Amino acid sequence: MPASSGDDEGATVRFFSFHLMPYPGLPADYDGPAWITCPNELYDPVLGGEIYNRYIDELLYAEEVGFDGVCVNEHHQNAYGIMPSPNLIASVLARQTKRVRIAVVGNALPLYDPPTRVAEEFAMIDCISGGRLIAGMVVGGGPEYYSFSMNPAHARERFAEAHDLIIKAWTEPGPFEYIGKHYKLRYVNSWPRPVQQPHPEIWIPGVGSLETLEFVARHRYAYMGIPYFHISVFERMFSLMRDACRAEGYEADPSQLGWLVPIFVAESDAEARRRYEDHFWYFVRRLLPGINISPPGYTSVRSVENVLKGAGTFALNLQTWQEVIEGQYAIVGSPDTVVEQLGANIERLGVGNLLGLFQIGTLPAPDTHRNLTLFANEVMPRLRQRFGSAPVAATGAEHP
Amino acid sequence: MTALHDATLETGVGTIELRRGGTGGTVPVVYLHSAQGEGQALAFLEELADTHSVVAPLFPGFGASEGLEAIDDIEDASFHLLDVLDRLGFAQVDLLGLSLGGWMAAELATRWPDRVRRVVLVNAVGLYVEGEPIKEIFGRPLDELAGDLYADPDHPVAQLMRAMAQAEMHPGEIPFDVIRPMIQSQAATAKLGWNPYLHNPKLRDRLGRISAPALVVHGSRDGIVPRAHAEAYVAGIPDARLVDLDDAAHMATLERPGEVARLVLGHLQG
Repeated sequence: MPASSGDDEGATVRFFSFHLMPYPGLPADYDGPAWITCPNELYDPVLGGEIYNRYIDELLYAEEVGFDGVCVNEHHQNAYGIMPSPNLIASVLARQTKRVRIAVVGNALPLYDPPTRVAEEFAMIDCISGGRLIAGMVVGGGPEYYSFSMNPAHARERFAEAHDLIIKAWTEPGPFEYIGKHYKLRYVNSWPRPVQQPHPEIWIPGVGSLETLEFVARHRYAYMGIPYFHISVFERMFSLMRDACRAEGYEADPSQLGWLVPIFVAESDAEARRRYEDHFWYFVRRLLPGINISPPGYTSVRSVENVLKGAGTFALNLQTWQEVIEGQYAIVGSPDTVVEQLGANIERLGVGNLLGLFQIGTLPAPDTHRNLTLFANEVMPRLRQRFGSAPVAATGAEHP
Repeated sequence: MTALHDATLETGVGTIELRRGGTGGTVPVVYLHSAQGEGQALAFLEELADTHSVVAPLFPGFGASEGLEAIDDIEDASFHLLDVLDRLGFAQVDLLGLSLGGWMAAELATRWPDRVRRVVLVNAVGLYVEGEPIKEIFGRPLDELAGDLYADPDHPVAQLMRAMAQAEMHPGEIPFDVIRPMIQSQAATAKLGWNPYLHNPKLRDRLGRISAPALVVHGSRDGIVPRAHAEAYVAGIPDARLVDLDDAAHMATLERPGEVARLVLGHLQG
């Protein structure tokens, strides 16, 4: 279903390069989960340092080749994504880039106590980058509630309250007192304040929890569909998002919708599969196990019912490459194939933000570099032509 | 065996379900269930009901009992149960609890000792004992958990849990009506026992306030709560004795109903 909004603003698509910063060095004989209990003896700090720097370079390269933005995210105590603090990486990017939007997707608000910490750190990144931050806010993944011993039955309440507090800290003059159920702060007075006024653009990632969709619609934020499901699950999720916006009395703008998907481009379809497939399976079979744990009370009963409708198509259940391609779990192929499939899905989903994962699993640096180059040269221009967008200009002042 | 019948009770947090039946006894017997939410077909309560008035309330979030959104922790749980006793008109009760229910019984008996005449704690959680952790109950495969809860692998509930573990591989295929009550009762348990994990750090120092004689039962094959917890309850409660129950794991009241009923009756009469 194409986006209903017909104005020029709504017809554009922004291109983001998203990095999970996965750990590529799990030993072949380890077959346990990559989350919560994955022994940290398996982490090699020397390799860790190498990949941090390499992955940061890959994000910087995305600006060089013309992406509109870069994305980082937060996960704890796992091998799937080694960014317990995405704000640290984002602050490096804020300093080292000049033009791209920096999307932190997001900070897991209930894990910050008090969450005014998020207001402060996001404002720092916004100041350092000259107003280029996209402030992502997330409830946090199921495993994080084990890793932090944080009560999952309070997750939604804490998220909503932390969100309100952060927005208030950014938009109302301090100092003020905030007395909520979970946070009681006598002096809220955030230094620094964000460059972007009244506050940075806000993105909320999700997997289809109804409360989250309704929350995003109510605040007119943007909803980022989290990957690793059959394309039909995204279709349903974005359709629910449009319904939620209509329930609030307006039509969703494509800029409020984002689709996160692994992408790999090579000279031909066969070459793409040959270079990519093993790295993708490392990701699916080694890094995903354990991600889908849903702690008690984390999701409301009605949302569990909704999320379960798509659960059977979760990427952990994938067996064959044919299933990957048919379900569009990853877009892999020649520039022509990738242009065609991304174009069709952008239109079908009605999204105004494409969030590509250009590195996945064990995909090495040269392949990632080449993937970004080919995408930027052979795919992005043709999609920009079709969807009428241009690279974003720098907003606000650059850092000195 | 005297059958219990279903009833409801208006409470401060909402309408709750309860089972009740029988007459007799010095004071009514109140049974507090475990995190499994066992409420139906409790043979040992039916035996007690031959000679006692028995009431088994279902905690908010379990079955059709309302009011979980008003409860955040064990303190809220304690005040809810006090409200239940008040609304039932029970000035004093004999209190029995299994696991999570045992913890609640201990909380009530420390906070309002005059309301409790006798107390029975079966495989109760509620305490922290260094070096003797309570095993994880959240997020574990159901077939594995079944082995910790039931000594007899052929117990009907253990069989059901293993069947559900099989079905969990294909979550879209499980009828949602089967899942719904589990989701709610687990959320209720998490609210009380996620962190601190199934205990109240203050409870141990308060056990001396319990004036009721206590019977502390440990299922010798309990895979969840180590015996050291039963020992700690006995050490802390001024008048307490420990009984080991053979051939019983964590869900001892379901596994050995006749033996548990006999022990409880002995304690209530003593």
